[in-house]
Parts: sequence; C-alpha cells; structure tokens
Amino acid sequence: MPRGLWTTTVGSFPKPPHLERARSQFARGEISAERLNELEREATIEVIRSQEEIGLDILVDGELYRGDMTTYFAERMEGFQISNPVRSYGNRYYRKPVATGPVRRTDAWTVDWWKFAQDQTSKPVKGMLTGPYTMMDWSFNEHYPSREALAMDLAEAIREEAIALVEAGARFIQVDEPAISVRPEELKLAVRALGRAVDGVKAKTITHICYGDFDVIYPALLDLPVDMIDLEMANSRYDLLDRFRQHRFTKEIGYGVLDVHSHRIETKEEVKQGILRGLEFLRPEQMYIDPDCGLKTRTVEEAREKLAVMVAAVREVREERGITA
Amino acid sequence: MKIETTLSGSFPKLPLEPGAPNVRVVRNRMDQGKSTDRDLADATRETTRRIVALQESAGVDIPVDGQVAWDDEQTYFARGIQGFEIAGLIRYLDTNTYYRQPEIVGPISWTRAVTVEDFRTAQKMAHRPIKAVLPGPYSLYRFSKDRHYRNQEEAAGAVGEALARESKALEEAGAAWIHFEEPWLGRATSSDAPVVRAALEPLFRGRKAKTVLHVPFRSPTGVLDAIRDLTWTALGLDLVEAPDAWSVIPKVPPGRTVALGLVDARNTRLENPSDIAKAVERARSMRSDLTWQLCPTASLEYLPVDRAAMKVSRLTEAARLASGDGG
Ligand SMILES: [Zn+2]
Repeated sequence: MPRGLWTTTVGSFPKPPHLERARSQFARGEISAERLNELEREATIEVIRSQEEIGLDILVDGELYRGDMTTYFAERMEGFQISNPVRSYGNRYYRKPVATGPVRRTDAWTVDWWKFAQDQTSKPVKGMLTGPYTMMDWSFNEHYPSREALAMDLAEAIREEAIALVEAGARFIQVDEPAISVRPEELKLAVRALGRAVDGVKAKTITHICYGDFDVIYPALLDLPVDMIDLEMANSRYDLLDRFRQHRFTKEIGYGVLDVHSHRIETKEEVKQGILRGLEFLRPEQMYIDPDCGLKTRTVEEAREKLAVMVAAVREVREERGITA
Repeated sequence: MKIETTLSGSFPKLPLEPGAPNVRVVRNRMDQGKSTDRDLADATRETTRRIVALQESAGVDIPVDGQVAWDDEQTYFARGIQGFEIAGLIRYLDTNTYYRQPEIVGPISWTRAVTVEDFRTAQKMAHRPIKAVLPGPYSLYRFSKDRHYRNQEEAAGAVGEALARESKALEEAGAAWIHFEEPWLGRATSSDAPVVRAALEPLFRGRKAKTVLHVPFRSPTGVLDAIRDLTWTALGLDLVEAPDAWSVIPKVPPGRTVALGLVDARNTRLENPSDIAKAVERARSMRSDLTWQLCPTASLEYLPVDRAAMKVSRLTEAARLASGDGG
C-alpha cells in the first residue's frame, strides 16, 4: 500500500483576540513580560491541542509569540537594529530590521519554544525559521557591501539555530523563503544562501515559498537544496500543475489546498479535487497536504474549520486510493 | 549652474515628534469608533502641512504634497474613476509592501477630478509650486486586472485618457509640474511598445504643465525608443538600484530634463552629499544639452520618517554642492 498525503500547516496560527490585546498591553507597559509569556504558553498549548483534535500529522507551535517574521529574529541577533515604523500598506506599519554591523546569532531564538511545544504532543513538531534570502530582502542594509554578503551571514546564523533545533530533537526543519519568487534574477543567490542555512542539518528540510512568477523560476526552483518545497497551489487554482506536466516536480511538495486570504471555508469536495488533480502528476509519498500559507490572518474559528475540511478530504482520498499515513 | 531638487512621490505620514497630528492614530481610533471623518480630514491636512514645510525648510525646489490620503500609489486615483473597482491586496512588484489591485470592470471614464482638491490644499500651504503626483498610465494599467477590454492597447489607452483628463484639471488648478510614476516602464520590453505608446500618447496631447515620467527600480532601456519622441519634459531615473539607467542618459532627446534618482529611497543608509554631487557632475559631463533635477530614486514613503527627513536634507545639500562654485 502506498503511503503519503501527510497533513501539516505552513507555520503561523491566528493569535486569539485576548493574546492580541495582551501584546498591545505589553507594548504599552501595562503587563509584564512574564504575564505575556504565560498567556503565550497557554495559547500555544491550545494550538497544539487543536491540531491534534483536527488530526494533523505534523504539527507546528503556531508562532503565537512572534510578531513579524523577520523582526522576531533580528531583535534576537547582534548586528541588527529595528527601525521606526514603516508602512506596508494603507494604515499597516511594521518595524523593519536594519543591518548596522556584522549579523550574528549569539543565543537560541526558538529552541525553548520548540521544546515547549514538542513536550505537549507525541506528534512531530516542525522547527520554523525565516530564510536568509527573505531576512535579507526584508531588511534595510547599512553595513554590508552587497545583498549577497548580508544573506550569507544570515545563512550562517540560521544554520546554527537549525542545528540547535535538530540537537533538541526536531525531525523537520522549515526555513521559509516567501521573498524568493519575486526576483527571479536572484534565485541563484537564494539557492546558495538556503544551501548554507541547511548544510549539515540532519532533519527533513522544507522551504515555503509564496506565490510569484513561476513561469520564470520553474523548474530552476527545484535547485533549492531542501527535501521539500511548500507551494501555494489553491490560490492559483492549481495552475502550477501545468508546469509540473511540462517538467516533473522532483522533490517532496508541501501542497497548499486552502486559500488563506479568504474567509470562505472550502468544501471538502473542492479540496479533494485539488488533491486528486495533484495525484495525476505527483506520487502520494511526495505529497504533504497543507494550507497555501500561514493562517495568522484568519480567525481562530476559520483556521480550525478550514483545517478540518482539509483533513476530511485527505481521509477520503486516502481511503479511495488505498493510501496509508 | 543650479540643479533643482524634487521628491519622487509620496512621503511617510507619521510625525517625527510624538503628539503631533498622526493619521495612523486617527485611523486606528476611527476603527474603534472614537474618531470621525472630520478628525481624519484634520490630521490629513496637518500632515500635508508638515510634509510641505519639511521640504521647504530643507530647500526642496519643487515640493510634493506627500499623498497623505493615499493607501498605495494606485487605488486613490483608480477609486475615483468610473470603470474601476478595487479588489484584494497583492504584493507591490518585488517588495514586501502591498496595494489593492484595481480591476477594470467596465469602460473607463473620467467624470470628476480626483486629486485637484488635495493639490489646491497643498499649494495654499506652500511658497513654491507643488508638483502634482499621479500614477503613470502604463503602470496603472499593468498594476490593474483588465476584465473588460478586448485588447491591451484599448485598455491602456483608456487609462491614458483618464489620466490626461486629470492632468488637464490639475493644470487648470495651477499645477506647473505633473509627475507620473512609471515603475512598469522599467519592466517593459520592445514588444510592449504598442501598449506603452497607447497608454502614454493621450497624456501629452495639448499638455501645458511640465511633465515627469519617473521610472523607479529599473532602467527604461527596453522602451526608450518607444517613448523618446513623446513630449515629456523630464525623465526620472533610478541610478542606485538600476545603475544601467546611466546608459539611458546619452539617448535622451536634446533639451529635455533628466531627474537623477541618486538618493536611495529603499534603504536607510545615508548618502554622502559629496558623492551625490560627483554623480551629478558625471551626468553633466555626459551631456551639455540637457537640464538636470536631483531626486530620490522612488517615493520616500517606505522609509522610516526620521530617515526620510534626513534623506531630504542630504538631497538638498548635495544639490547645493553640485550647484555651487566648483561644485
Ligand atoms: Zn506564503
């Protein structure tokens, strides 16, 4: 019997409203770091329990203790300062890392959180990091002579963290590179930097990439030196499968079947159809089924309902095709 | 010889000093029902005043209004034009910033001025002529999703007509300069020439105001032949992110202006004014039959406000060095 179609998520879960409030209270100095940490731990336990109830195979800690996916890491590194707020769109602002000196990891970033999450469950929990290319692209650079120089130093730091996670027991290490698809001319640089970040990391390595100009970067994308590439399939209506028809997808794939930008809960049938279409071009043991991207922009309820539909669809496909987990 | 300075679009809206009028705070309070449209209008006006004053005190020759009411560089205009609807957030080019995608859902038709009131407001606050800023028609077309027109030229041409009408209204309100932001000209190739022409041609028919086609991020090398003979006044180049834009300068028709984008609008690292002045010198040594402006590579909006303000000072300092004796 073939095995495959394991279920997982891309990383972030929605922060429950009381945690969002606590984060702003903490920012205004109204509650202590200990109190915030306590609430984050409770919410993390809740996210782990929810993933188990839904029946996912590979879990995440939900990243409830992180704000922005680059600033969280930059704040914990030497060589970075954090800028005053910069606009991303409309009234949305974020603080952006500024590389003002050589960037270095001086302490673990996520190992304690990973251990805490893994202690709550017997299912594997993924170690989740932001990739060197994305960290570089989403930071200001006042120190390094080139984008590559900054990316390679970041890769070194990320590699140290990845190895520390594996030493703590992580079997899956995901190094997200959402920025990779937007500058095809820099794909080679991204491949080099990610290669360094996972070099010698003895775990299944994964990278998540957000939707971009796949006409230009596929199949070169398959050069990314990781075991699994996680892609948004659903929000492009599975258009990517046409590219797989022309050039076989040779790695394992994180196969996104839920549109994370929409409030609408997918039907079991449409998710099933999406998976079945994938099985025309991919082997089940290549496929990990997950949402298109992080779930942090959905509500707690929407995330739960969407994932429940996904797991139900996977169960039906497994049954019909005689695939085991 | 004096070199004029100007900005290339929007400017950060947040105040430098805590407690100053702050549109971000007002908009958050509106979401909680604690502020009104009137509060937002007040904060918008005071923010515009601050942005105009900051440029004037730094000595910017051709200031802008900062586009305080704009959520991104497209939708504020597109929202006011019939035939457009505004859809979901998507990534702006290859950046970590976003815009709402305009969708063309019916015939595009300009029925009222969208930006003229803002222009008048800013002009009253300023001692110098304010440069109006609009999305360039080719880029607005490219940033949009066309669900209505049968072919690209027709759609791009309709967008160009709408921007021509808006430009005319701005002229009538007294705008001496109109800046068109055209990042997509840096991504166009010779095969796009017919669409580029269709979008841009309407803009220059009977135009009285001086015009800038500003191309941030990449060099417009691929479409230079298609735009050379159009009667724009100035071509804006990004000489930091796209050093190959230097090769455009020898091909600019005589008598035109080149706006030299030499202050990096996408990185906080501060330029040395004397390095900028040297780069201006380099441009001058290439052509004696052109006029020059000095500007940031793109809009300063995506820098923290403290850095954006410092960049404006560096810009004007560099212009003084480049204009001065022996400069
Ligand atoms: Zn994504």
